[in-house]
Amino acid sequence: MASSTNTQNAEPLRRDDSTVLSRIADNPWPAARWVAVMGVLVLLELGALLGGFLNVVEALLIAVTGLAEVTVGLVSSSLAAGILGFQQSAASTLSGLRADTEGIPTLLSRDVIPNQGYQPGGTGAWEGPFLGLEPAYAWALRLVLVLAYALVLSYWLFRGWLVFREHYRQMEWSPTDDVVDKLRTHRWGQFGIVILVLFLTMGLFGPAMGPTTVEQNILSPYTEDSRIEYYNAESGSVETVFAGEANFNAKSIGSQDSNVGPMTYDDYGRFHPFGTLTNGRDLFTFMMGGARISLIVTGIAIGLGTLLAGGLAMVSAFYRGSIDLGVLTLADGIVSVPRLLLLIMVSAVFANTWLGNILDGGFLLAVVFGLTIWPFLWRAVRGPALQVAQEAWVDAAKSFGQQPSIIMRKHMFPYIMGYLLIYASMSAGGIIISLSALSFLGNGLGISPPTPAWGRAVSLGQGLVSGPSWHISFIPGAMIVLLVTGMNAFGDGIRDAIDPESDTGEGGETTAAGGGG
Amino acid sequence: MSKVTERTQTEGGRETLVSVENLKKYYGGEGMFADPPVKAVDDVSFEIRRGETFGLVGESGSGKSTLGRTLVQLERATEGRVLFDGRDVTTLSGDELKQWRRNAQMVFQDPESSLNDRMTIGEIIMEPLSAHGWKTKQDRRERALELLSEVGLQEEHYYRYPHQFSGGQRQRIGIARALALEPEFVVLDEPVSALDVSVQAKIITLLEDLQAEFDLTYLFIAHDLSVIRHICDRVAVMYLGKIMELGETGELFESPANPYTQSLLSAIPRPDPTADRQRITLPGTPPSPRDPPVGCQFSTRCPAKIYPEEYDDLSDDVWDAIERFREVVRERSRQELGLVDQARLRLGLFSKYDDIDEAVADLFGGLDAPEAVTDAIESAREQVKAGNPDAAREALFDEFNGICDRERPVLQGVSDSGQQSYCHRHAPEYEPPETVLQRRSDDE
Repeated sequence: MASSTNTQNAEPLRRDDSTVLSRIADNPWPAARWVAVMGVLVLLELGALLGGFLNVVEALLIAVTGLAEVTVGLVSSSLAAGILGFQQSAASTLSGLRADTEGIPTLLSRDVIPNQGYQPGGTGAWEGPFLGLEPAYAWALRLVLVLAYALVLSYWLFRGWLVFREHYRQMEWSPTDDVVDKLRTHRWGQFGIVILVLFLTMGLFGPAMGPTTVEQNILSPYTEDSRIEYYNAESGSVETVFAGEANFNAKSIGSQDSNVGPMTYDDYGRFHPFGTLTNGRDLFTFMMGGARISLIVTGIAIGLGTLLAGGLAMVSAFYRGSIDLGVLTLADGIVSVPRLLLLIMVSAVFANTWLGNILDGGFLLAVVFGLTIWPFLWRAVRGPALQVAQEAWVDAAKSFGQQPSIIMRKHMFPYIMGYLLIYASMSAGGIIISLSALSFLGNGLGISPPTPAWGRAVSLGQGLVSGPSWHISFIPGAMIVLLVTGMNAFGDGIRDAIDPESDTGEGGETTAAGGGG
Repeated sequence: MSKVTERTQTEGGRETLVSVENLKKYYGGEGMFADPPVKAVDDVSFEIRRGETFGLVGESGSGKSTLGRTLVQLERATEGRVLFDGRDVTTLSGDELKQWRRNAQMVFQDPESSLNDRMTIGEIIMEPLSAHGWKTKQDRRERALELLSEVGLQEEHYYRYPHQFSGGQRQRIGIARALALEPEFVVLDEPVSALDVSVQAKIITLLEDLQAEFDLTYLFIAHDLSVIRHICDRVAVMYLGKIMELGETGELFESPANPYTQSLLSAIPRPDPTADRQRITLPGTPPSPRDPPVGCQFSTRCPAKIYPEEYDDLSDDVWDAIERFREVVRERSRQELGLVDQARLRLGLFSKYDDIDEAVADLFGGLDAPEAVTDAIESAREQVKAGNPDAAREALFDEFNGICDRERPVLQGVSDSGQQSYCHRHAPEYEPPETVLQRRSDDE
């Protein structure tokens, strides 16, 4: 390792035209070690990773084609129909692929570590769960393993960057190093990153983390696949029942004799870590299912908003004058429209159209959120953008005739990206809350039932908070608070990391303030 | 010294590269309700010859940087033309302008801010080449490495970031970037003023070497007279957006014609104790470029100002007091009154400007001024106190105006070698500035 660093110092230019690949070929060991571990990690969960990846691809595909369809639809409806056709065929291909990936064995799946089962005879060893453990322990084992796997995988990805930085990067030092090094000592920011990773894990690996599946427990509880076996104490034998029927007898509706609280079993030997909903469905599974849609919608909304805000901030800072004024007027116009009314209107207008059905209504919400949140981000980022547009290096680039678009991308964007990340992470919290609030209001707003959404759980349990079924509202609410806190912590961490004065421990508290919806 | 004179002789007959004709650059002032524009560069004409170093010197705010930025088309000229090789570049736009930009580059004052901290040195130097689609990526890389060694840096600096360099090294990188496109003309905007003195000398030597090697023409902007004297072939002295004097460096430093240049040069400390020239201290501050004097830009501070004939017998001290008083009144007239003060003015309760009494007492106390002067000052004082400094300013102007207050001088030749100066005193009917300055300083 030492010798490799030496060669780099002595002959930095011999390799200046080399690609990363040729540098890896020169000194393959660090990369090989990293790839070996990464390979093992990926193989362990190949099916789930591919499935998650396809999920993301599908969401992106829908987002991009959906936007293109709406834009093109303004000009020509036949072209729009063509795009729609492409979208539908591509989406169905992706769904097919995703179904195939479910066939790939993964280590941390409910097939390998099952947790559903029954006790033949009512006591003793369990039939079904992993190693005959109690369902609670089997489920907890799987959950812990999945979470640990996600954290290790994230760390290993970061580790890959470290390996690149130490062995294969031509620069010995870059400004990013300082940011990363500061984040490595920033506990609050790290807390935010861990929370984010945990919630992303819920989005990606959600199906493996719940004690049962969304399909069996929530979406189609009365199909043949949704039968469960349980020990019937009255008849003293093992019987089968539809999950839906079991749910019917496992409702939490606020009375002592009809409540399945957190960390308890219901009459059918099913373990409910977070208890059940008013309709008897498993709250934990519901939450995991909700994580996916919430994160996808938030991601699309904040991505769109950030893109618009960053682009327009640079344009208005670079050209200033009437263009700046134009953007300002547009932003003020958008801010003046009450978002809730707009959401209600858009939901009503597009109800039962194909656009309103993408992601169970979530896509439309994401677009509306993205288009209405950018003025706030734009205002926050315009200041830093104006500042960097005044730097002499921007003048220098103009003086040799660099194109404005490249000036903005190379000379301005790196300086406002940090601010964008901060404000985006903080506004994301606001979007999650608003999204939950919409689901809470119900009546055609928010994500259409029965697809799980966090806000709906809060809404279902709101009348029962003071009784034994307090968990229905409280736990999803607390999860939302945790995620939003994590996002804010992440934003704080980034803010401190990009601020060169932050390591003095004083000042630097002025760049950003928290923000909700 | 001998070096400078030699150079002026050998380079006398060179052809013109850049010709500036009646160039004006105003900021703001558009629209009906706008304040008057800031006249950063106000009708300036000069020529820069191929291969020479043309110096531009002046105090901060004199418009020298704006002039330099306008020459490389970083600012659009308000009026006038800039001819580069005979072609008017102020009308260029789009692709033509981009192509022309290869010929004229700029080195910026602050090496901390002129390099993008998020790019490596290699990327920074290569960027002008990439912007113009110069050859292949490999060629550009070679060229960047070549430029690094041209400006005295090592090849291994290619992969470092600006943070890892000292101010002098960063300025070298800025120079390498400016030279990347092989320009003919380089504007050096105070390239050494942010550097340590020891580093300044090295950068200046580097600039001289590069000029010899690549046949560069420099416009060297600075406020440091000794640097200008060392590196420049010809110099223009700017004050308040106007060129006060222009000439061969040696001649201008040895025999300055304009009163402003004379006072500027008198500020250079002289190691010779027997030298008899006294230091001329300019009174007051430069007027606002939003509201420049009607006559000569320098008339409010000029130590050789031409006074009106009817006051020929006034002593210099009295004149000095009058000019300072006019400055105070001028500043008052530029202030805007708030609503409360305007209301008070109407009600006759206005007292904001009562401190003018103290100013008058300070300036004229102990002076033996004739009655005509004290009367004029008195009535002006009353008007200011009454909240009408504009009227006071007008009255003082009418009373004490000489030709310097009334009319703009012209930049006129004062020597055979092309030295030009912007002063009424060069007209035959007035005493030349040197004699006046000599006499007035002897009186003290």
